[in-house]
Amino acid sequence: MTDIAFYALSALAIWSGWRVFRVDSMIRATFALMVSFICVGGIALLMSADYIGIATVFMMAVEMMVMGLFMVMFMMNPAGLNPMQMVHQHRFSIGAGIAAFIGLTVAVLATNLPNNPLPAGRDTLHDLGVELLGGSMLIFETAGVTLLATMVGAVVLSSRPGRFGDSDAGAVPPGLQPGGQPAGRKVEKSGGHGGHGGDSSYDMNMKGAPKSDDAPHKRHGKMPEEES
Amino acid sequence: MAKLASQAPVPVFVAQGDDAPAETARLCLNSTLTIVETPRAAAILLVAGTIPASLIPNLHRLHDQLPHPRATVFWQAEPTDLLSEAVTVRNDDNLVSVLTDTRSSLLSGSHGTEADLLPDAPPNEWRGVGSHGQGGKGMMGGTPYGRPMAMTAADFRDGLELDAYTADFGPFLPMFPPGLVLTLTLQGDVIQKVSVVHLPFAGEGNAGAALLRLLGLPALAKRLLRGPSDDADFKRLIRLSGVRAAIPPGLGCAPIGSDVRERFERLTTDPGNPSKVHVDGVGLGDLLIGLEWHEAMLVLNSFDDESLRAICANTSSPELEEKNGDSMDHEGHAGHMS
Amino acid sequence: MTFAPALTTLILFLAIGIWIAAILDAVFYRRISGQGGVSVLSPFYAAAAHLSRQRLTTEAPDRLNWYLAIAGYLAIATIGLAVVPFGPETAVIGIKTSVVLWGACESLVVVLVFLHGWSPNSPLALIGAYRYVAIGLPIMLLSMFVLIAAALPARSLDLRDIVASQEGLWNIIRQPLGLPLFLLLGLSLTLRGPFDYADSADLAGGTSVEDSGANRAGWQVARLAMLVGFSAIAASTFLGGYLGPILPGIVWLAIKTLILMAVVIGLSHLLARMPVARMLGLIWKFLLPIAFVDLLLAGLVALA
Repeated sequence: MTDIAFYALSALAIWSGWRVFRVDSMIRATFALMVSFICVGGIALLMSADYIGIATVFMMAVEMMVMGLFMVMFMMNPAGLNPMQMVHQHRFSIGAGIAAFIGLTVAVLATNLPNNPLPAGRDTLHDLGVELLGGSMLIFETAGVTLLATMVGAVVLSSRPGRFGDSDAGAVPPGLQPGGQPAGRKVEKSGGHGGHGGDSSYDMNMKGAPKSDDAPHKRHGKMPEEES
Repeated sequence: MAKLASQAPVPVFVAQGDDAPAETARLCLNSTLTIVETPRAAAILLVAGTIPASLIPNLHRLHDQLPHPRATVFWQAEPTDLLSEAVTVRNDDNLVSVLTDTRSSLLSGSHGTEADLLPDAPPNEWRGVGSHGQGGKGMMGGTPYGRPMAMTAADFRDGLELDAYTADFGPFLPMFPPGLVLTLTLQGDVIQKVSVVHLPFAGEGNAGAALLRLLGLPALAKRLLRGPSDDADFKRLIRLSGVRAAIPPGLGCAPIGSDVRERFERLTTDPGNPSKVHVDGVGLGDLLIGLEWHEAMLVLNSFDDESLRAICANTSSPELEEKNGDSMDHEGHAGHMS
Repeated sequence: MTFAPALTTLILFLAIGIWIAAILDAVFYRRISGQGGVSVLSPFYAAAAHLSRQRLTTEAPDRLNWYLAIAGYLAIATIGLAVVPFGPETAVIGIKTSVVLWGACESLVVVLVFLHGWSPNSPLALIGAYRYVAIGLPIMLLSMFVLIAAALPARSLDLRDIVASQEGLWNIIRQPLGLPLFLLLGLSLTLRGPFDYADSADLAGGTSVEDSGANRAGWQVARLAMLVGFSAIAASTFLGGYLGPILPGIVWLAIKTLILMAVVIGLSHLLARMPVARMLGLIWKFLLPIAFVDLLLAGLVALA
């Protein structure tokens, strides 16, 4: 019974993975990938890794949903009403795909995979919990926080309201002296929007509370006064 | 099955025309009818009031969207040429009984279902100009199945290059004031450009009930339509629902003078006396651009007819008259988008 | 109970639950709009009326995904109900990670509603679909925190153990913020009331705008089935499920499910729906922090 389930899930996973590259509709491709992952989650269930299997389904559904949404937002042909080709070098990619598949299959079949059957009734969920909060705690906590910081950083980098003005308006940093030229490069007269952006944000920065990078400038400014 | 089905309320989709009878807004109060919000759920298309000649193709497209078995009933209007065999009801006939009888005869088969008025085929050839049959701009572009593909356009809020979709949103949409046809360019559900193709009809809609329906309270909308006699209960229910807090403050405000919240207050407490708005020089563009769909619908429905007609008259109308055939109650625009 | 009787109970529970949910919906609607009573057979009439009409389709729809969305929604609702224990150690799907399975069901609902709006190739349906995703995903996060907080006293992710841990004290008292937040999830999963961004009136029916005939009937039945499944899960997690004196467990479960269904339906007819951006702000800035507080409190209680 388990064998039949394993073969069925594996076949479905491979077939839907192949469909990802053959369908024209990006939404179908996204959800075909999700089906493939769900099958892998099912295989994990067969291996008594309950939590990992169901969590895979859970996570993949959410991730594929967000990916699907981005497909609709950014791709010009998400419904596949125009025929589409996913890859740029068609023959080469087919060849590479087949070669990789054969290579990995040979590798898997030729290695001696471990054969440690679990004792029946073993609480794998408890073991997983102990591992996550015991030996592997450092890895998971730091990975989680790093991912969050990366996401926040990506959003901040790509957002239009920049630190010194709109990011597509050529914002410039404030000057070294209050009311002086912007620090770093010279403002070109031709870039009208660049200069404007620099001026307005320049004023805003001067009026606002001192930020951490202003402090060095201010210290520079203060020293000549103290000396004199 | 037919006997069971005939016990359910008659699903009717109302296509409101010019000079619609005043009772049209109150049709939903009748418990033997359900006024549905999409023609796909209806069995009978009720055309109330005269449909002007420019909107008759839209009416025919709408007619074809009702699932079989279907029938059309014209109320205080002349049937159009293609629908000359439809049932007509004059002012003094009992509309509800005509609708119920028509539905029963549809179910029993004695009244044959009305055939499609338009051919059931895509208006344009699918095959485009590219090597794979696509529109010619790489994998994208062109007009597959006769519909222009949305191409990239910068969103005006933050410059992000998404795909802008332009379509006409038609005269019979239940959340639009009747008769209003707008050409909207949407980025997702945010309105980027708006122009008026057809002005709304002058009629007596109940804006308060429309707003309540849009805010997810159809039962309270019915209560409002029934009449202001249930004042205490109605006020309590309105307060309990938090509907005033649900409307964002300052929506649809500048440069009119009052925002949707205030207009909504007036409409639900004192329906006969809507708030005055200053409409000189204000067009739909000033009001709707940058709003997302739900907010835009709230703004559109918060005005009384005259103000809305004045605002729409102030808005630009598209120069392009070319329209593609379409099987929805909106149509794709050829021309500058493709 | 062995598997076969449990499965039969499940199917009966679901069928009767759908019927009662439809009647309750009509009753609340009529009461609030000031109209008269409701016939007990009205859901059957409505279903027959839908089925008597032909199924029309739009131009170039995604037919596979359309049917998959409707059938899948019903299947997910059934799985949700299958996880609920009908008695001690009796659940049709009895695994140690049933709460996680319910979480997976919630995320699949978001996927299926999106597919339902995507498939007809219609702009209003598509707007409804992705608007719903924007709201459905954070609401799902909320429910996960609430469920983890409910699982802490039981020291298990199994819904059967969660019910068993409520022998002394129901979770609604032990974790007061939990049930109100969880009911919001119910409104969102069943596309009702203040969270009905998928099938809303301002989109002329949203994702269901192009559904006709049997498809329409199928989607409405699936929504009601989801309501039944969700209410049973909420009853098991917060109100003690099958626990109760004198009457058999399944009757108690039915009573509690009925109460929660009535509450959800009542909320859906009473509360207003705000525009998406405002609701997003409310969820991320207000509701999710409350869910964190709920989890924190449950953790402190568990450590004490």
